[in-house]
Amino acid sequence: MRTDQSRPGISRRRLLRGAGVALTLPWMESLRIANGAAKTVSSKPPVRTAFIYFPNGVWEKAWVPETTGADYTLSPSLEPIADVRDSVLVVSGLDKKNSHGGDGHYAKTANFLTGMPVAKTTGKDISSGGISIDQRIAERFRGQTPLPSLELGTEPVISGIDSNVGYTRLYGSNISWQSATRPVAKEINPRMVYERLFGKSITASTASAEASAESYRNLLDFVLEDAKGVRSRLGRDDQFKLDEYLDSVRGVEQRIEFATKNSESRRDFNLLPAESLALAKPGVPGDFREHIQIMLDLMVLAFQSDATRVSSFMFANDVSGRNFSFLDGVSGGHHELSHHENNESKIAQYQRINRWHTEQFANLLRKLKSIPEGESTLLDHCMIVFGSSMSDGNRHDPDNLPILVGGKGGGTLQTGQHVAVEGMVPLCNLYLTMLQKMGFEDPQFGDSNGTIAGI
Amino acid sequence: MFAIDYRALVLRSIAWIVFPWLTVVAFADENEALIQWGKSFQEKVLPIIEKKCLSCHSGETPDGEFDLSKFPNGEAAIAAGDAWERVAKRVRLNEMPPQGSPGLTDPEKGAFHRWVDSRPNQDLCHQLASDETQSWYRGYVMSRRLTRYEYSCAIRDLTGYHVQDEMLPPSDGAGGLGFDTVGDALFTSEIHLEAYLRVALASVDSMIARAPTLGPSKMSREEDQVRIARFAKHAWRRPIETPEVDRLMSLYDRTQSIKQVYQAILLSPHFLFVLEPEPDTSGVQRLTPHQFATRMALLVWSSVPDEELLTIADRGEIFEPEVIRSQLRRMLADERARAIGENFGLQWLGLKDLALTYPDREVFSDFDPQLTADAIEETVRTVSGVFRDGKPLSDLLQSNYVIVNSRLAKHYGIDESKVLDSNATETKATDSNGTASIAGQTPWRTVSVANGQRGGVPTMASVLIKASYPRRTSPVLRGRWILEELLGSKVPPPPPNVPSLDEGGSVATTASLRERLELHRQKPECASCHQRMDPLGFGLENYDAIGRWRTDDSGVAIDASGTLPSGESFSGPAELKKLLMARKDEFQLHAVRKLVGFALGRDLNKFDQCIIDSSIKRLKEENRADVILEEVLFSYPFQHRYYSKAKTSP
Repeated sequence: MRTDQSRPGISRRRLLRGAGVALTLPWMESLRIANGAAKTVSSKPPVRTAFIYFPNGVWEKAWVPETTGADYTLSPSLEPIADVRDSVLVVSGLDKKNSHGGDGHYAKTANFLTGMPVAKTTGKDISSGGISIDQRIAERFRGQTPLPSLELGTEPVISGIDSNVGYTRLYGSNISWQSATRPVAKEINPRMVYERLFGKSITASTASAEASAESYRNLLDFVLEDAKGVRSRLGRDDQFKLDEYLDSVRGVEQRIEFATKNSESRRDFNLLPAESLALAKPGVPGDFREHIQIMLDLMVLAFQSDATRVSSFMFANDVSGRNFSFLDGVSGGHHELSHHENNESKIAQYQRINRWHTEQFANLLRKLKSIPEGESTLLDHCMIVFGSSMSDGNRHDPDNLPILVGGKGGGTLQTGQHVAVEGMVPLCNLYLTMLQKMGFEDPQFGDSNGTIAGI
Repeated sequence: MFAIDYRALVLRSIAWIVFPWLTVVAFADENEALIQWGKSFQEKVLPIIEKKCLSCHSGETPDGEFDLSKFPNGEAAIAAGDAWERVAKRVRLNEMPPQGSPGLTDPEKGAFHRWVDSRPNQDLCHQLASDETQSWYRGYVMSRRLTRYEYSCAIRDLTGYHVQDEMLPPSDGAGGLGFDTVGDALFTSEIHLEAYLRVALASVDSMIARAPTLGPSKMSREEDQVRIARFAKHAWRRPIETPEVDRLMSLYDRTQSIKQVYQAILLSPHFLFVLEPEPDTSGVQRLTPHQFATRMALLVWSSVPDEELLTIADRGEIFEPEVIRSQLRRMLADERARAIGENFGLQWLGLKDLALTYPDREVFSDFDPQLTADAIEETVRTVSGVFRDGKPLSDLLQSNYVIVNSRLAKHYGIDESKVLDSNATETKATDSNGTASIAGQTPWRTVSVANGQRGGVPTMASVLIKASYPRRTSPVLRGRWILEELLGSKVPPPPPNVPSLDEGGSVATTASLRERLELHRQKPECASCHQRMDPLGFGLENYDAIGRWRTDDSGVAIDASGTLPSGESFSGPAELKKLLMARKDEFQLHAVRKLVGFALGRDLNKFDQCIIDSSIKRLKEENRADVILEEVLFSYPFQHRYYSKAKTSP
């Protein structure tokens, strides 16, 4: 076997500088420190976006409000948002045309945030059709925050393939896609999320943070060279696989770089969120409700400390059989009850599960609202999309999707109303509208064919 | 566009270089026979399809997602290839056309089966799918990263460090025949890298803590260099050349000792990826001895090769059949071979996610997560045991023993005293990958069972829990599980908007559930599947949703009888398993296919049929499961790889 790895290495730091990665301080810190270190100090808090997915659809009759406009009447499933309704935009009638046909679940989940056709495959040429909206946003902010994005969930990737419908089940476990062919793995363990946010693992083991950062750099530089050396000797598909590795190494390097430059300010953040810290216990919580709460708390924490500007979260994987009997009046699993077969008792239980999800969303909004930021609250600087990739779980319809958006997007989003769009309006039109409100100049996203007026 | 055309051109010319005789001579004969086969389809089979099948299997939403109108002529029928085997199987079992629709007459059946059986055979034993044939035979082995499971085993074997679950990278999805060994479905994100970093630090620290000579300034630079080279060879599974050692030594620092070098070795793609770099000439090539040793260790241990295997590879003897045989025997006797059950077994049986199945403790107060862990452990020991001890593969369908600890014995209500084999299994109790904490506390024993209530996979708690709802059993789910996971049949999802079947809430009685299902089956669109699934599932009604034996459900006596579309009837699990044993061939074929798919890390194609045929033949002759592993190791696809020269990197 040929080995050709003795070439002198390219200095990775020079590479970083060459690439012009601008590392700025987190927003709050820039204001507080206000010394020469911060390159671009913005006086306006940045907009944070999140995309929250729940599986198995909703019972539409209890979800979609009957009236539109600002004085719409809350539907039973939306009642939990009553006290934050001013900060919530209800959009009904959105459609995902690339999910018509295909399979009931997998072809709808993987493209929840891409809007594009999901390749029917049990492995070869996996594709969600395009980049997901959260990753598009992450691209823009890469290098400005410690983490470009934060992908969260509660369940491991579903194993196996569905040989009947001809899809790999990993489609049901991934909504974040760095590109059409590259899903971004989600973290389900709260403690690991916490460590990612606050770099515990990176600074704990050695005496000085600077020394350990230096040794990480050496390590990562070394393996980066290894990867480059072997890459040229691989077949084409194999090279793509190694590129994922290369990009991941670079991503981790950038974070270490960031942490080193901003070590003082990062340490301050550790002091901020006292009550959430207590929750970051080891392991995955046994109780589902606790798990959801911690993950959403961590998202709040990430936004509050400007550790990232964008996040995705999956309440559960698609087709999740999670037992919801912990809710009064519910006895059974989520997916099982979503196939209600128009049976009244099952519908009632299904609807109760939908409502519970809305309650969690409302709790998240309330927490964001309780955090002052600038002259208003953190919630005002957020846009949190909350929804599912199908409407009625019994029919698996990808139209009239249940979608809520929480937060005013820095004053750009007209919340406090129900907008009912008509005529196969793509879900991606909402995403495009959001992008434009954030100052992106993208003319199009996914399968969008315009923006949504009046929001 | 241009690139694709260019690529196709180059590939075609490569194929000419590599297989000139095939493309000219063999393909000509084969083509003639195939064309004849296609003609006979048009004359004899197409009319039957048009008359009896198309009314359901066509249009926008063909039943079972199987559109027969796509085969209007001989060429299309030829291209469908193996699909006809599946059709033939369904017809043979009288499952198609379904009850309630006009069936095939005997002459029609005869004509159809004769046609399927006359498909021209080819000698495919010494070929691999190439880019030429990729469009038909998808997926070839690719350089991929280690799976989460393999990674944790490899770290354990290299450093002696048992990685806690939460420190590991995220779980993996699957591709091909449903396994995470498929490179196409393995992705690497930043959180993987973070986990690799975390584990590299912790495992090397723990090595140094356990072996002080690894610590700073304990040995001379030269001695450390020797150790570093040895460790790199083990981790990278190949000889390490001098420039590589020199480069590794650039990270060496006597005050920190080998620490950072070892970390780099564990973080390098040479460790994390199963790299099979391009040789100088493209086309089909035999693997290097060390690449083969790695594939072998991944198959049997889900881990890296040990020193002995690497030494044999160094000597170049590893391809000798006797060496393969004796190494396989040695590896199966090793504790690490537990991986066959834990990795292959759980994925094959669809039990990897069992911990995500949540029986309701309000209904089943006996349930706790430890029961799931014990049930998994039983499955792991049973499946790996069949391979490790050279037992009949069909023991997994029906056997007169179970491997249990006392919790499970109690759960099953079986007499623990009939211990067949306690020593052998008790030693296995300590090898549970340390952190999993599944085995351990109570010893595991092989206990004999006689009445057919237990013994075999279908009556294991793991399967019975998996194919149930949180608060009750489901004959439908269980029947589907047997058909798909054990017998390899396909059961399509229900068509959209089917008339409602109220399978019943938690208080529904079994009797009425059975009646409702029977009503449901009278509709042809439902019957085609439910007449196959439901009876099998009812045969397991004597087990509740957490796998305990029961004779009544809320006071209503259990009726565990069923009649299959073929007319066979049975009552209770013992007879059900007898019936499954009669379909042993289907089971074995399915299991072999799965194992081959796991081993190769891709979907199967016609060139793999040879491994399947030879495995089945030997299973019949020798009746021991380990022969499949041997056949895989001997096989052409496992020892070879197709290399297509990479284009200039983008």
